[in-house]
Parts: sequence; C-alpha cells; structure tokens
Amino acid sequence: MSIEPFNKLVKLAARAFYDDISAKGDNQPKTGRSDNRGIAVVVLDALTRRQWVREEDLAKDLKLHLKQLRRTLRFFEEEKLVTRDHRKETAKGAKAYSAAVAATADNLTGREGEEKIKLHTHSYCCLDYAQIHDVVRYRLQRMRKKLKDELDNKNTVQEYVCPKCGKRYNALDAIRLISFEDDSFHCESCNTELVAESDKIASQEIGDGDDNARRRRREKLRDLLQKMEAELKPLTDQLSRVKDLEAPDYGTLQAWELRASVVARGSNSDPSGNDSSRSGQGGTPMPFLGETKVEVAFSGVEEKGEIKSESAPMKVLPPWMIKEGMNLTNEQRGAVKQESKMEGASASMDLKDEKKSIGHEDDAKNLQDEYVKAYYAAILQRQKEQEEVIKREQDLSTNSILTDVDPSTSRKRQREDDGEGDVELEDTPTAGILWETFKVDLNVEAAEPSDDEGDDDDSIVWEEG
Amino acid sequence: MFFHIVLERNMQLHPRHFGRDLREKLVAKLMKDVEGTCSGRHGFVVAITGIENVGKGLIRDGTGFVTFPVKYQCVVFRPFKGEILEAVVSMVNKMGFFAEAGPVQIFVSNHLIPDDMEFQSGDMPNYTTSDGSVKIQKDSEVRLKIIGTRVDATEIFCIGTIKDDFLGVISDPGTTS
Ligand SMILES: [Zn+2]
Repeated sequence: MSIEPFNKLVKLAARAFYDDISAKGDNQPKTGRSDNRGIAVVVLDALTRRQWVREEDLAKDLKLHLKQLRRTLRFFEEEKLVTRDHRKETAKGAKAYSAAVAATADNLTGREGEEKIKLHTHSYCCLDYAQIHDVVRYRLQRMRKKLKDELDNKNTVQEYVCPKCGKRYNALDAIRLISFEDDSFHCESCNTELVAESDKIASQEIGDGDDNARRRRREKLRDLLQKMEAELKPLTDQLSRVKDLEAPDYGTLQAWELRASVVARGSNSDPSGNDSSRSGQGGTPMPFLGETKVEVAFSGVEEKGEIKSESAPMKVLPPWMIKEGMNLTNEQRGAVKQESKMEGASASMDLKDEKKSIGHEDDAKNLQDEYVKAYYAAILQRQKEQEEVIKREQDLSTNSILTDVDPSTSRKRQREDDGEGDVELEDTPTAGILWETFKVDLNVEAAEPSDDEGDDDDSIVWEEG
Repeated sequence: MFFHIVLERNMQLHPRHFGRDLREKLVAKLMKDVEGTCSGRHGFVVAITGIENVGKGLIRDGTGFVTFPVKYQCVVFRPFKGEILEAVVSMVNKMGFFAEAGPVQIFVSNHLIPDDMEFQSGDMPNYTTSDGSVKIQKDSEVRLKIIGTRVDATEIFCIGTIKDDFLGVISDPGTTS
C-alpha cells in the first residue's frame, strides 16, 4: 500500500506550512472570533482519507461552510496540492459519481442515493500526490537556498520589484532599467520606480550598520537555517522515504469514476472478504480506497502465486537443460529421475495446470502457460530425437564391429564415469560425433579408450586428406 | 578574459571597389563591420590582428555585389563568472553603481558594496565609508569580481561585487589627478 507514506507526507506538509493559513481572504482583517487558522490542515487531512470528493459533501462532512471550504481549496489549488474539477452536472454525471461512491462505500449509499440531482456546476477535488511531492521538495529547496544565499550573500543577485504592477527584475536587468531622468530604476511596463526587494530575513530587525550587526545577522541566519533543518526533519525524512515510491494517482474525475464503476461491477460479481474490513479500517467512507485495495490484493495474490510457482523450479533445472550424465542433485532434477524426465516434466506441468485451475487466472496467463508447455515439449521431443539418432549411430557402429549390444551400454557407463566436463565435450558437437562414428568405423577400438577425441579427429583428417 | 582567435565572415563588397586595392578595401570594411561588436559566443571583438585568407569571391545574382569568405585573426574579450576585472565607474545611484571594463558594462548592486559604505546623494552621488577615507563615485577605478553574466546573442552584461578581500577602489580620481 503506497498511499500511506504519501498521506503522511501530506499531513506533515500541512502542519509544517499551512498551519497558520486561515480560510478567510488575506485582505480581510482578522477578528479574534473568526480566526479559523488550522482549517487548512483539517481540510488536507480530510482529503487524505478521500479520493475524488464532491466539495459539497466534503463541506458537509467537515461541518464547514461551503464558501469557506471553497476558499481553502482554491488556495490549495494555487499551491498545487489539490486538483479540482468543475462541471455542469447533468443528471447522468451526478449519478455516475453517486454510483461510484455508492459502489465503493456501502455505508454511504443511503445518503448518496437521496442526493438531489441539481443541474448546476458541481466542483470536485482530489489530492494530487505526485505534484504535492514535487511542490514540497521545491518549497524546501527554495527555503534552504534563500537562507544559504543570504548567509554568504556575496553571490546573490539583487532583485527588484515594481510596487505598482508587481513585475520583478533582477540586477542583470539593471542596464535596461536605468532611467535617464533620475538615474534610478524604473519598471519597463509602467515606469514606476522600482524598489529593491527587501526580503532579507534577518536584516529586517537588526539594522545593518556596523560590523557587529553584520556578524549578528550571520549568526541569526545560521541559527535560522539550523532550526529549519531540525524542525523540518520529519518532513525531509518522509520525503526521502517516499522518494522512490510511486505516487498514488486517481487520474481525472472522469477516469476515476469510470474505474470505480468498473471495479464496482467486478467486486459485485466476486465479493472478496477483505473489502469490508478495509473500508471499515479507513473509518470514513471512501469512495474508492477499498476498491483499489482489492485491486492491489488481487495482483498481489497473482504475483505471489507466480513467484511461488516460478521460484520452486528456479532451483530445479528446467527439463530441457537436464542431459544424460549430468551430475545433478535430486533437488536440481526436481526430485525426478533422469530416466523419467519426460514424465517429470509433464508432471510438473500438470502441477502448473492444477494451480491454474485453482487460481482465477486470466487468458493471457493461460496462453503463456500453453505456449511454455508446448515449447518445452517441442524441445524435449527434439532432444530425444537427437539422442536417439546418436544412439542409433553408435549402436550401428559398435554393432557392425562387435556385433554385440552389451559393450555399447558398458561404454555408456564408462562415459558417465568420465566426468561432466568430458560429457559436455562429447555431447555438444553432435555432428562431429556423427561424422566421427561414420568415418572411424575401423578405428573404433583404438579411439574408444582414449579420452582425447579431438586429437584423433585431427589425425584422421590428416590421414585422409 | 582575452582570447586571440580566428573567425570567419562573409564580406559583401560593392563592385566599385573592384580594382587594385580590393583587398585593402575588404580589410577596411571588415574592421569597420566587426570591431566593437559583441557576440554571445565569443564576446567582444576588440581588434582584428590579421587576415588568414580571403576565399574566392562569389558574384551575387542581380546586384553585382561579390561575397568573399574572409578568415581573420582577432582579439576578443569575453567576461566570465568569477573573473576579477578592473573597471571604471560610470554611474552611481542608490541601487548601486555601473562600471565599465572596456566594452563590458558591470552593475554592482548596493548590497554587494561593503556594508560600511553608505550612499551619499547629491551632485556627485557616491558611496563613502563613515570616516570618508574611501569613496566610490563616477570615474573611480574599482577592482571587482563578476558574479553573474547575462549573455544574449549580441550583448553581454555582468553583475559584480566589491564585497570581498582586495576588491574595491584602487585609485581615487580626486587624489591622483
Ligand atoms: Zn510596473
């Protein structure tokens, strides 16, 4: 479940950065009564427990005024934490959402079912986890950079801002900004005199004058930086934890609804036990969370099954690799005797077949299994054929000379005793052996005891050539 | 930093210059065209020091102008970040001051001027230490370090600092002249 770390990240970020954001517009003077700081955190927390949610429902759940919630959400949209979707709700659209919700959160069905279908714009919102991850990292990076830049302020580029239109410039634009009337900097678009951006954190309180003040300022900055690192440690830790995880993505509202309905249909036909427990664990009814979990569990089971069936024969050499004379342990052979490798292979395949019949596996898997089976069978067939050919040749040659079958078997045994290395040498160049046995009919007796067939080969070639 | 490099340029010459001193005309035109220009890539072309070769001219259809590919050696000046330059102050205002190092303009913003120097407005705006011993005003010579460059296709602008060891005023026009 990769959503938990991300939810934790959202919660930490909410508390770190949005703790004192009030839902009221910034321009309105705050009175003590209407101070609702902390609402932002509540909203974000609520969103971590939901997926796509209609804003009215969220407002109802949080006992917030819709307008207040909207303001907060708009703020988060600007902060790039939340994606929103507004649409003119037709009866159908509303139904789609209600259906999605109903299908996934059974204890919400009653209310959602009765939800009046209105024909005006509804807004939906959802956390954008991937973007949140980026935004938080960017924010931290900016904070750090600002402090560090100011700490060794020789390398900062002074910024200027137009008090009227808010346009920003920096020192590199200086040459374009000087006005010849009064030698100061003027905005390019509205010709207002620019002011140096005095966002210097430390200099605001301590007037910059003597060297002492400067030193104090530096100390303060260093202090600030340290404090920041310490206080945001949980957040940075969580960020690094989340770094390699894939962010949960619910897609667009439409995609999500579509998925929800599909999954809902699937889960209706095949209700799994852990669904209800999951949604129960979440506490609040979530339209989709349970379903995703089902999906994940599904794939997990499948994967596990695959891994098991794959990992068991991992140690077992595949049937086509087992050759005569190979010195294998029983496990490597899959506890199947060499003579009966055909049966063994087929038995293991039967095993797979059984597994297949037990598990609900899709067609693609079936097809794959079928293919693998056919492939193995074909390889085995071919190996066997080849071996038979070799054997026949050998038998032929030995028979032609010795007119006896027993020595061939004895020779085979001898060969087995020789060791694996030699076996490989003998087995691999099939054509060579064939050729040898054909030509060397007369030399068989001489060649047989010697281990070095290659040399013999050469000498024969030389003799004949 | 100065570089001595070879550059190439296609020169168009009017037919009236075709004659005995075609080559001289070509070189003169090249100098007029190129010296003092700035390219983002090579920097400011300070001076042409020699002609490597002049290629075959190509007569343009219709006009009779001839295009010669000319390879020439020249000295270019290209400022880099971190480079120390000596420059002459050209303008002082409350945001900082501008200085020129040859063709390059450098702006030093007031927060990159040592904290003990304060801006004095007036007829001759300047930055002065509290004891008045050091003064930066128009025509002062300063040693500065480039901390940033803006390189466009035809323009290079720098920002610098004098807030570091051995940087700042190197001569006071009031005392030397
Ligand atoms: Zn403006």
